[in-house]
Amino acid sequence: MIEARDVSVAICGKRIVTHVDFAARPGEIAAIVGPNGSGKTTFLKALSGELAYTGGIALNGCDLKAMKPVEAATYRAVLPQATTLSFPFTVREIVRLGLVGGRSGVLPGENARLPERALARVDLDGFAGRFYQELSGGEQQRVQLARVLCQVWAPVLDGKPRYLFLDEPVSSLDVKHQLIIMDIARDFARRGGGVVAILHDLNLTAMYADRIHVMHRGRLAAAGAPQHVLTDELIEKVFDCRLKVGVLPAANMPFVLPQSAA
Amino acid sequence: MAGQSIAGAAGRMTVAEGDRSARARLVILSLCLALAVSVLLSLTSGASDASAVGVVRDWLTGAVPGDAVLSARDRLIVYDIRLPRALLGVLIGAALAVSGAVMQGLFRNPLADPGLIGVSAGSSLGAVAVIVLGSTWLAPLTSALGTLALPLAAFTGGLAVTLLLYRVATRHGRTSVASMLLAGLALAALAMALTGILIFMADDRQLRDLTFWQLGSLAGATWQKIGSVGPVIVLALSAMPFLARGLNALALGEATAGHLGIPVQRLKYTAIVGVSAAVGASVAVSGGIGFVGIVVPHLLRLLIGPDNRYLLPASALLGGSLLLLADAVARTIVAPAELPIGIVTAVAGAPFFLWILLRKRGVIDL
Repeated sequence: MIEARDVSVAICGKRIVTHVDFAARPGEIAAIVGPNGSGKTTFLKALSGELAYTGGIALNGCDLKAMKPVEAATYRAVLPQATTLSFPFTVREIVRLGLVGGRSGVLPGENARLPERALARVDLDGFAGRFYQELSGGEQQRVQLARVLCQVWAPVLDGKPRYLFLDEPVSSLDVKHQLIIMDIARDFARRGGGVVAILHDLNLTAMYADRIHVMHRGRLAAAGAPQHVLTDELIEKVFDCRLKVGVLPAANMPFVLPQSAA
Repeated sequence: MAGQSIAGAAGRMTVAEGDRSARARLVILSLCLALAVSVLLSLTSGASDASAVGVVRDWLTGAVPGDAVLSARDRLIVYDIRLPRALLGVLIGAALAVSGAVMQGLFRNPLADPGLIGVSAGSSLGAVAVIVLGSTWLAPLTSALGTLALPLAAFTGGLAVTLLLYRVATRHGRTSVASMLLAGLALAALAMALTGILIFMADDRQLRDLTFWQLGSLAGATWQKIGSVGPVIVLALSAMPFLARGLNALALGEATAGHLGIPVQRLKYTAIVGVSAAVGASVAVSGGIGFVGIVVPHLLRLLIGPDNRYLLPASALLGGSLLLLADAVARTIVAPAELPIGIVTAVAGAPFFLWILLRKRGVIDL
């Protein structure tokens, strides 16, 4: 379990995140939604130990501040929004970097094959020999996800759950790959791990999240199951948009929802 | 596919796609041979006509007195003049090339080079200070440290520049190339100005030492010099392989390296201290030899990719070989006089650097 209590983050003296309480349980996808600049990414950076914060964050009951980088890396992997490289690494070499900590959770002999398996999971079979810098943005994002999956391949290690932190994992993906990636997250949770994901698509969020945390101006505006959180009032207040939940558009207006995926 | 065409002959059948490690091992093995050949070449080229076969046979039988193949004069030339010079060349070439590779990994930029961004200039300042002020203001220091004073002063100068540079050029874990190069330029200019003041204060004898030394040269290599800087370079270089995995992860950015479990802060400071020690020691004995640190890692990345586990040892080997070749050119091109080796590496390296810049213009945002 990941627990944040009363977490605040300031960058250059400016409060970005204020008194946020948060929990991500194993077996669940915890989504963080909110408008641009509401502090979602900053909060995730605090959660991953990248930014200094006040308040308390515990990873499987251990205080995050007391953990060494390698200890934290054993139990959670982080997918950033975008990663640029200045050296010509191949896709395989990038994915292999996920194994640098050496605790993927598979038998030692299987580690060598793990990059291929991870690439196959993110629908990049046959990409291992390509150069990362030559790929499209969406393909690069999936390569990074494959790397992250290698780091915590087994969702449970030594009896303790592990976590995926995903910062807008589907932002640059086509609809097919959005569903593939969200299915990977759901599968990871079903097998005993936990997922924390920043998402923008409210339909995908409603479909996959077990719990939604809504952030607004650096504070937690609401938290709970999708059907309780995604209401007309909340969306108007937080997103400043008069939208109705669950209302079908006019009959001649096409609309495509991820929920219709067969 | 580009990856496949590059994968080449090094076992496409047995090696997984995109895995260049088998090829890297092959390249490292070949570089070991190349280094051995370069050393032999360096031992046998010059005014004395000791043949390669003769040197090897002499070395094999030399333990038995009176059994030597070479004449006494040739033995003196080979063992007391050329051998220390060749060893020093290997040490310094390796130190400069590995330092370049490590700095490039640290700054996440293929253009970082100790010579280019002022680290060597800082080391020079430290070394010149000891040469000029060693018998006056810094006398207590030099008498206490003996032969170590020069490398230590060069190390301190290089370390100061690197630390300052890192502070100036890095913000929120991102190093701006433009700030790095410009700050390096400014720091180099400052160090050179201060060096200029010291040179102004120097007497005639010191001046002669300084001029030759500043252009970079392996002349004057002695066993004693190897004794004073060799251990520093060997120590610094043997620490570098432990940084390889961390530097690989750092290619993804500092934050991501941290998420992968790398102790980033410790990695950065170990790299900075190691590079400063290696560059400082090199500058202390041979002056500023430029462009080795940028040319060697770049060539190797084209060949085996940027994986530092292979790039660092390969850089050491190729750096040593190339510097010996440059030294052979320096010794023979204007024979019987000798060109400072720094001129040779600059003449070959500067156009190469421009070529990298032109090729990468689209990739690197300044």
